[in-house]
Amino acid sequence: MAQQDDIHIFQKRRVLYAVLGVMFLAFLGRLYQLQMIFSEEYERKSDENSIRIISRDPIRGYVFDRNRRLVVDNRPAFTVTIMPYEFDKRKIPYLSSLLGLDTLFIHERLKKGEDYSRFSPVKIKRDLNFTELSALEENRDRLMGVDYQVESKRWYGTGAHAAHILGYTKEISETQIRTLGGEYQQGDVVGSSGLEGEYEQALRGQKGAEFSTVNVRGQVIGSFDNGRLDVSAVDGKDIILTIDIGLQAFAESLMTGRRGAVVAIDPTDGGILAMVSAPDYDLSFFSGVTPSQVWRALSSDVARPLFNRATLTRYPPGSTFKMVLAAAALETGTVTPSWRVTCGGSFRVGNKVFKDLHVHGSVDMTEAIQVSCNVYFYQLMLKTGLDNWSRYGRDFGFGLLTGIDIAEENPGLLPTTAYMNRRYGPSGWTRGYLPSLAIGQGELGVTPLQMACYAMVLANAGEFHQPHAVCALLSKGAEEPDTLAFQNRRVQLAPTTWKVLREGMHRAVQSPRGTGSLARVKGIEAAGKTGTAQNPHGPDHAWFVGFAPFDNPRIAIVVLVENVGFGGSYAAPIAGLCFERYLYGRLTRYDIPQRTAVITAKEPVPTAPVAGR
Amino acid sequence: MFAYIQRHFDLQVGISSLLLAVVGAISIYSATYDARAMGIFDRQVIWLLSGTALVLIIAFIPLRLVQSLSWAAYFFTIFLLVSVLLFGKTVSGSTSWFNMGAFRIQPSEFAKITTVLALASYLSRSDVSLRAPRDFLTACGIVGAPIVLILLQPDFGTTVIYAGMFLTLLFWGGAPRFTIIALVAPVASAAAALFGTTFFLIVIAVFGVLIYVTKEHRLVAAVAFSVMVLFGISVQVIYDGLRPYQQKRIETFLNPNADPLGAGYNSLQSKVAIGSGGLFGKGYLRGSQTQLNFIPEQWTDFIFCVPGEEFGFVGAGFVLALFALLLVRGVTLASIVKSRYASFVAIGLTALIATHVFLNIGMALGMLPVIGVPLPFLSYGGSFLISSTIMIGILMNLYTNRKEY
Repeated sequence: MAQQDDIHIFQKRRVLYAVLGVMFLAFLGRLYQLQMIFSEEYERKSDENSIRIISRDPIRGYVFDRNRRLVVDNRPAFTVTIMPYEFDKRKIPYLSSLLGLDTLFIHERLKKGEDYSRFSPVKIKRDLNFTELSALEENRDRLMGVDYQVESKRWYGTGAHAAHILGYTKEISETQIRTLGGEYQQGDVVGSSGLEGEYEQALRGQKGAEFSTVNVRGQVIGSFDNGRLDVSAVDGKDIILTIDIGLQAFAESLMTGRRGAVVAIDPTDGGILAMVSAPDYDLSFFSGVTPSQVWRALSSDVARPLFNRATLTRYPPGSTFKMVLAAAALETGTVTPSWRVTCGGSFRVGNKVFKDLHVHGSVDMTEAIQVSCNVYFYQLMLKTGLDNWSRYGRDFGFGLLTGIDIAEENPGLLPTTAYMNRRYGPSGWTRGYLPSLAIGQGELGVTPLQMACYAMVLANAGEFHQPHAVCALLSKGAEEPDTLAFQNRRVQLAPTTWKVLREGMHRAVQSPRGTGSLARVKGIEAAGKTGTAQNPHGPDHAWFVGFAPFDNPRIAIVVLVENVGFGGSYAAPIAGLCFERYLYGRLTRYDIPQRTAVITAKEPVPTAPVAGR
Repeated sequence: MFAYIQRHFDLQVGISSLLLAVVGAISIYSATYDARAMGIFDRQVIWLLSGTALVLIIAFIPLRLVQSLSWAAYFFTIFLLVSVLLFGKTVSGSTSWFNMGAFRIQPSEFAKITTVLALASYLSRSDVSLRAPRDFLTACGIVGAPIVLILLQPDFGTTVIYAGMFLTLLFWGGAPRFTIIALVAPVASAAAALFGTTFFLIVIAVFGVLIYVTKEHRLVAAVAFSVMVLFGISVQVIYDGLRPYQQKRIETFLNPNADPLGAGYNSLQSKVAIGSGGLFGKGYLRGSQTQLNFIPEQWTDFIFCVPGEEFGFVGAGFVLALFALLLVRGVTLASIVKSRYASFVAIGLTALIATHVFLNIGMALGMLPVIGVPLPFLSYGGSFLISSTIMIGILMNLYTNRKEY
């Protein structure tokens, strides 16, 4: 090439070689970066692309009662899902009309699902009814990407509600996904209250996973690596309750139409036999999709059916608390059991007059418990003093959590000198406040569960077992259940003291003059103490705490009926019927006391939520 | 015997391009391994065999004949480019195909070559100097006609290929540095403007200095500088006027992670395919990205991912090495042929292939925008493979006739 050019041809060639060199070095460097430095990251991304993890839900554990009767079962439920990459969003209004869902809700659900993966089905609605299912089936051609899958929902077949014990399961919320951590995903069902919540880890089991290879359209080509990485689901453990579901259903029927609580406990080990908080509700309404109007009705009901009165409400215990004072007085040597008081029907401290229901005449301690003489205990309180009283109250577990396994609980309130000083100021309260506490009024607040434990301790003459509703977990396929361990302690009182307290209670039920005679059961020696607690909400609360049989107690019980009147009239008969039902396994009497609720031998059938009176 | 072959055949060009075509066929086989794209591999092999025959024929045509046909071929392809706009078939928004029975022909692939031939023919005339404005403008006209026609299709990628080729020819033909700088400057400032004001100002400053250093007449320099600035400022206006898919590609190039499922999808999946290949690759037919079709139409523009994923750094490096051999040989050839025309043709064709490689592999590696430009010898496509083999045929012809003046 003949050149007059300013650069010689070989110089130009060198420039072009350099340009090519730079280009290839840049490519090689980039290749090195992608394939050598970051290759692991890209391998992971490549796997994410082509490997789809399909989770397999385990079967949620069953729940059995103490006699191995099936209480909670699983039944199939149909759930509509949408595969985002196949679904045409313009069909949302149509789908929403078929399923009765809000279009915005479907949009949001779909959006969240898509963010996770366009190739994973998004659950849109759980527990379809037959009409929705058939409407969907008819229009499947028009709804590409819409499918349904079979899931399980909880089923309650015994007739007992046991709502506050069992608790409900709910679809997991956003917040729960965040707080509970990795294993949970949108659409999962999670135990939210009662034992479903408390034993969630055991009940749910472990999810399994299947690894599949998919193509770019998300179609499954086959299993990945011959299924070597697959993890099979581990089914949840079954739960064995201490509850006697027959007694539970019976106690619920006795409380129908009332407000209050019944807690029956096995004094030999602290196992809860029955726990009723009335009014309650039917858990079936929570097993599928809970219609919002049901939620609203339940949560806005003034009777608060969702609330567990048995463990969460503080009530004044009334006269049922008198054994605490008696114990304190005897143990501190303030009086002997034979110390007598003449009851004139009222008692004056300063310018305050405290009344009694009757004129009891001269009574000793046993008689005072038997007839529930207020005047006796007013005087006894002034002699014993607040400090001793609250010390022994604490020994019996008042003002403390009982440690029950299945529910939230309230510690109640046991006034002490320190509390009174804080509340009223050191000089703001006088001895005049004490007589109220002596008969379980004033600031004193207890939960029915605490009272049941109190009944248990009295039944056992000291043995306090941690109350619990679950006694064992049974792994699927295992022969023997894993028994759970609970704590025990002893309320240390002199044997003579126990004898006085228990004998007073025995007579209160079994002797003609006793206040709890309506708790009597033919052929069974029972013991108990009634209480009638004044409260600011209306008529008195009726209480009864007791146990049976007297010599070898197998059931300890507390009955509370709100705002009805005398404990001896309203609470004692319910306790008596429960003794009978539990100890005989059936009802033997025909003369059912008139003041108890409608009693039918038939166990209630789940119908509408029992919200209200 | 070997000496004879060596004397008459450019083995470096022949072998490197043949190996590239073989790697291409292997890759296409892998990329279309599932039933949905059956037939693509078979067709590619047919094209490849006919292409090889074509190379041998072209290699032995007398150079004089090629030179004398340059202008006729150029005008014929210009005619085809006009016709395709009027009667062509529209494929994915671009009217660049002729249907001829079973075949589809893309005239722009052939126009690239004839433009090189015509430019070489013009620039090799002894009375033409790129220093003369009139001659320079004529050269611009020769390359401008097909560019305008191809932009009308529209096919942005091929336009860039022409630009790469033309700049190289200008450089080779001894155009003043100022001319080249003045041509590149507006494009550079426009591109820089897409990246933001700071980048734009830096580029303006650099080219301002370059223009100043050339000591061009002040008035001319000022005009060149103003044109550059104007381009940069008006780029936003031009950008707004771009087709949405082009806009999105540019956006995605600036930030491919912003839309990994949309416009950035191809770029990301391509990087994943290549990156996950590691040192030795996942094995032939065992690349999950390739086999599961994560990269759409992988046998065309994203074919480089196949060797990258299935043969790893080693395989991709091998492909790069083959291209390097071919292109370096092209430049060398341009410097050793006796004929001035042959020199221009050699450098023009080499520049065409180099620009393709630059844009395609740069795109596959996620370094450049996703401009739909195929990779010579590897990508599927009849017209493209035939035009590539014609280029190889001509390069070999130039070698065979290297001693002719």
